[in-house]
Amino acid sequence: MEKKIYKITKKDLYDLFTRLSSEHRIFVPYVKGERLHFGEFDPGKESDIELGGIRQTQPLKSFINPAREKILDGKPKEKKPVIIAGVKGCDLSSLILQDFVFLKGDAEDPFYAENRKNTLIIGTDCTYAKETCFCLAMEGAPYPQKYFDINLSGINDHFIVEVGSAAGERLVNNFRMFFKPHTATDLNKRQANREKVTREVQYFIDKRGTQNTAQIKGAVKKNYNLVQLWQDFASTCVECGACNLVCPTCHCFLLFDEKTAAGNKRFRMWDACLYNTFARVAGGANPRKQLYERLRNRFEKKFDFFPEVLNYFACTGCGRCIEACPGDIDLREVLKGLVLGKWNKPPND
Amino acid sequence: MTNPYAYTEAEILKVVEETHNIKTFTLKPRTEIGFRAGQFMDVTMPGIGEAPFTPSSNHNSKDTLDFTIMRTGRVTGLLHQAKAGDIVGVRGPYGLGYPLKDFKGKELFIVGGGVGLAPLRALLYALFNEVNDYKKIVLKYGARSPKDIVFKNEIDSWKAKAPHIDIEVSVDVGDDTWKGNVGLVTTVLKPGLVDINNTAAIVCGPPIMMKFVTFKLLDLGIKESAIYLSMEKNMSCGIGKCGHCRIGPYYACKDGPVFTYDKIKDLQKIWD
Repeated sequence: MEKKIYKITKKDLYDLFTRLSSEHRIFVPYVKGERLHFGEFDPGKESDIELGGIRQTQPLKSFINPAREKILDGKPKEKKPVIIAGVKGCDLSSLILQDFVFLKGDAEDPFYAENRKNTLIIGTDCTYAKETCFCLAMEGAPYPQKYFDINLSGINDHFIVEVGSAAGERLVNNFRMFFKPHTATDLNKRQANREKVTREVQYFIDKRGTQNTAQIKGAVKKNYNLVQLWQDFASTCVECGACNLVCPTCHCFLLFDEKTAAGNKRFRMWDACLYNTFARVAGGANPRKQLYERLRNRFEKKFDFFPEVLNYFACTGCGRCIEACPGDIDLREVLKGLVLGKWNKPPND
Repeated sequence: MTNPYAYTEAEILKVVEETHNIKTFTLKPRTEIGFRAGQFMDVTMPGIGEAPFTPSSNHNSKDTLDFTIMRTGRVTGLLHQAKAGDIVGVRGPYGLGYPLKDFKGKELFIVGGGVGLAPLRALLYALFNEVNDYKKIVLKYGARSPKDIVFKNEIDSWKAKAPHIDIEVSVDVGDDTWKGNVGLVTTVLKPGLVDINNTAAIVCGPPIMMKFVTFKLLDLGIKESAIYLSMEKNMSCGIGKCGHCRIGPYYACKDGPVFTYDKIKDLQKIWD
């Protein structure tokens, strides 16, 4: 199928969002200090919106597999359709895994399925890279390649629009007045921007010697029994679970029941495999009593289990866990340690 | 929309006190819930939480379900306070259950420990349904003391089901009235009880017991692929999504909870 490509000005895009906001909840990235946070679209705050940039603080899963989802209270819920604009390539690739877990297998998770169907995803190209970015090492790129409904690539005061799905095409067709024809020069500019950011990500990968999926393949299994190595990796871990919670591919959850005056409720809530209670059973048995075993479990799941069952390395190179870790545990350094078979203290930047 | 996390309400019809910390609850779900021996279900204390248990009743009895439950945590503590007439929730069944087809024509060497006899009771009833399809049924059951034996009043009746059934109960510590074997259940696993080349061994009990029973069975010459172990991990969602019960490449909830030893022997910490 030939790619359908258009062009839209920033002003028209925000006008489109304003029109859509009566029937949709629209989330866009806002600048907050050095970071980008998703918040609800507010036409009054347009100047704080940054659709380019890099990935936001919240992972994409927050919208589709939210931290706390009510899954039982007897009442049907009505949800406005959602539009998320500004989703980056790293987050989009996490959908491969989230879809696999929640839509495939013995049973479909109807709450995830509904959110997924109810959410229109507008991707955007990264316009720069951060030191913690390493999507290229994880078979990704700093611009969306698939899994978006439409993608926007910023050029000066407008965006190149690429249609990625039937839902995306419907949106464009419903508001054709906003979408203008593009030129070959526009595409050349998009290509030049993409190459620039790709070089930046590659620079950070090379600078640190970050390993790629081909190098990582089999590394967890190979070093599985090197207890000292895993203990070293975990030496500054405080079991906060932040790496799990910010990770776009971490999917584990617990079921939480609550008794209220309005009746009994059940929630599906994010859980973290770094917590001591994660695998523990009521009788006290726990296959991962030691902290290093739990940290190892995280890497086993991402770099051994999912490559085996899904042919997918469950890391998108977004770098959120590196930023979130209060113990300065750097996933890139752990992977390097596994490939080299020894632990190198991270350089002080 | 089918909600895999929703439970069916079930009335507690009867509570039998098996030991000081184990009770058998007979539940009548509002709508019939079938299962096959070895599969598990989540039992909910409404508004409090749920926990996974393997029914201990005959899978041919469609109307009611028995759960034999040890008081050990938050949910089981509350369950133990429940009385006949109370309403709980049940969802499932999950997992694969015992491969009864593969057991046909074989000698079955069943080893249970403590409350681990619960799933085995469901298995035994399933075997009794078609008792002549199995060449021999040997059950060796170990309990801590005579007071800790579950299904006390039933075990003798199991012996009478068919001549090719051999049942022995052993206790770690005896008392004045105890006439049977005193010692860990491994002490009654002797050579010659079964034809090791045509045997399926089925083990369920506390992790430490399963570990040493497995080693003993291997010593007796039983094949790794013929030893069926109940890997009761922290199963929660039951459908391979929540991540809690993963052991190596498997989820205990959907790939188990019964695994043959050859499949899991190289994985870490299977006995914890």
